[in-house]
Amino acid sequence: MKPSKHSPSNNILYLKSSQLQKKNDAAELKKEIARLTQRLNRLEKKYSGSKPNIKISTAKRTDPVSTKELLKESNPRFPAKDSLLRYLPFIPDRSILSEEIDPFGRDPHFEKKLKPFFDFLYYRYWRVSTVGLENIPSEGRGLLVSNHSGTLPWDGSMIRIAVTNDHPAARDVRFLVEDFVYYLPFVGTWMYRIGGVRASQENAERLLNNDHLVAVFPEGVKGIGKYYSQRYHLQRFGRGGFIKLAIRTKSPIIPVAVIGAEEIHPLLYKSSLLAKPLGIPYLPVTPTLPLLGPLGLIPYPSKWTIYFGKPIDLSHYDESILDEELEIHKLSEMVRQTIQNMVTEGLKQRRSVWWG
Amino acid sequence: MKKVKSNQKKYYPTIALTGSGFKGSFLLNWLENDPHFPKVLFLDHKKPKVPLRKTKFFRLDLTETLADVKLYEILKDEAVDTLIHTALPITPPRNVAWAHELLSVGSMYISNAAAEANVRKLILASTADVYGAFPDNPAYLTESHPARAGLKSRFLADKVDAEKQFLRYSQKHPKSIVTILRPATILGPTILSYKTKYLSRLIVPTVLGFDPLIQFIHEDDLLQAFQLVVKNDCPGIFNLASQGVIPLIKAIKLMGKMPLPLSLTALKALVQLLWFMDISPAPATHLEFLKYMCVVATEKAEKELGFKPRYSCKDAVLDFAGAQRLREVRLQEGVNPL
Repeated sequence: MKPSKHSPSNNILYLKSSQLQKKNDAAELKKEIARLTQRLNRLEKKYSGSKPNIKISTAKRTDPVSTKELLKESNPRFPAKDSLLRYLPFIPDRSILSEEIDPFGRDPHFEKKLKPFFDFLYYRYWRVSTVGLENIPSEGRGLLVSNHSGTLPWDGSMIRIAVTNDHPAARDVRFLVEDFVYYLPFVGTWMYRIGGVRASQENAERLLNNDHLVAVFPEGVKGIGKYYSQRYHLQRFGRGGFIKLAIRTKSPIIPVAVIGAEEIHPLLYKSSLLAKPLGIPYLPVTPTLPLLGPLGLIPYPSKWTIYFGKPIDLSHYDESILDEELEIHKLSEMVRQTIQNMVTEGLKQRRSVWWG
Repeated sequence: MKKVKSNQKKYYPTIALTGSGFKGSFLLNWLENDPHFPKVLFLDHKKPKVPLRKTKFFRLDLTETLADVKLYEILKDEAVDTLIHTALPITPPRNVAWAHELLSVGSMYISNAAAEANVRKLILASTADVYGAFPDNPAYLTESHPARAGLKSRFLADKVDAEKQFLRYSQKHPKSIVTILRPATILGPTILSYKTKYLSRLIVPTVLGFDPLIQFIHEDDLLQAFQLVVKNDCPGIFNLASQGVIPLIKAIKLMGKMPLPLSLTALKALVQLLWFMDISPAPATHLEFLKYMCVVATEKAEKELGFKPRYSCKDAVLDFAGAQRLREVRLQEGVNPL
């Protein structure tokens, strides 16, 4: 297995060519304007002798409101005549014009605005490379099961970006996010807008039944809350909810191993101080996090590799197995071992944390 | 499910309607003008604004004692087949004790009287708000999800209780048909409720840091759902909403209004103070709906009722805002609307 390198140069070329196109357009427009002005001057000269015999009535309209005005006023996008909003600096909000939001709260317009930032993280900062993207089906449902790491988890969004940017079908991955995130102001709303969905059986089932790709992190908070000394040791896999989900919706499980995300915030200590009023499970302490204040939130630029494994098909199990907790636990452990092996294999391939 | 074909010559048996609120009035308007309903009864404590031609009006106050006995006599004498109970106000009343009497005890009276008089079909107009807005709600609430709004709001607790009365009735009388409709927030050109009051402010306060997805249903679509339920026999609970969801702040901007995010603590104190001063249209407990989602799945209604909303969520917002705007303009300019 050899990590494939990206060629962002293609992107740059495309950008440059589009800019060139714009320049050309501008030059042509200027020529066109000059030509039309000349023609207008000529016509003016030709007809300057004869005056047009058209009278334009300047009388004021007497009816209080014309139908046209009424219609305009009835359009809610224009502030009403007496509205105070007319006196405020009117900032056009293009997001109003965008179509209705995704049924799970993803806002394509908001995401488009953030895309350059995520692309920067993906291509330049963590230089993410992917292996085995062909294991993701081009259509139909799929459950991506991944290890979870990084104290502040960026792995969900990076898996999402990897599949959108590099998969030939450019598929849309929805990742499930821990509950507590949605209790928080701002963060919860943003998480919905960029494509995260609250982790619950109902939500995941609905997404899979609509033939989405869903990324889950069965380790949950235990996974992101590993100390640096425990890095790349997968924690217990919840209560096997993802196995039940896969059997119930008949979707293949695609094991995913993210290498490099453990080093972005090496967790040294978990403080319970201030955690409760902030509504988070613990306050992380890393070499830089409380020390440098908000600057500590900047992750370290490790080199990432994301491995996508061969799909595990569970469709031969029927729904009667859902009550057999031991059987479910066995399957869940099997998937955990598969991912652990992929992680170990990936670590063997890696020479350096920062250069890969 | 037994479907009755809408035959031109078909006449439906006697139908009784309670409540002169928004839902009651538009249902009465429809029943008055539909020739397939020869016998219509209207029960309320005051006369409706709709002019009555064929409808028989009975004065009945559900909050007074022995209202159930009086109701039973009416239902028995007129041989009522279907009873639509819409006397659950959309806007929380100021008088909490009176609201409890009307919603909770009134529904008990209705179900008791209906049981005595052998009413075949009972329809209750509830609301999707009974699920409550909680951070751990699934993205789409199905009918099997517990109605938890009572944990936060007393007004909604009474509505949940009203539903419980009807569900208990359906368990006791398995032959009867009990339908409970849970429509999302109703919008349209004519409705007035505490939610439309909130949305039609010039500057709309929201909770800082929260922008939940919300759902609407157009009043025409709600009428369609009621028609389906009255004409066909569909027992059970049904969520009703239009297609699509919209974030709260986007809905406010779409209407040409300005959202003003305020911190939760400040907003709570302010709203509660204004509620005690009779200015705010709802108590602070309803602020939860500005924080967390309460979005319902409508697959069951689509499958079992054949409910097809004609307005999307965005259309409903635009229709409401357009009507609001026209009304304002006409009031300013003094244009005769006729």
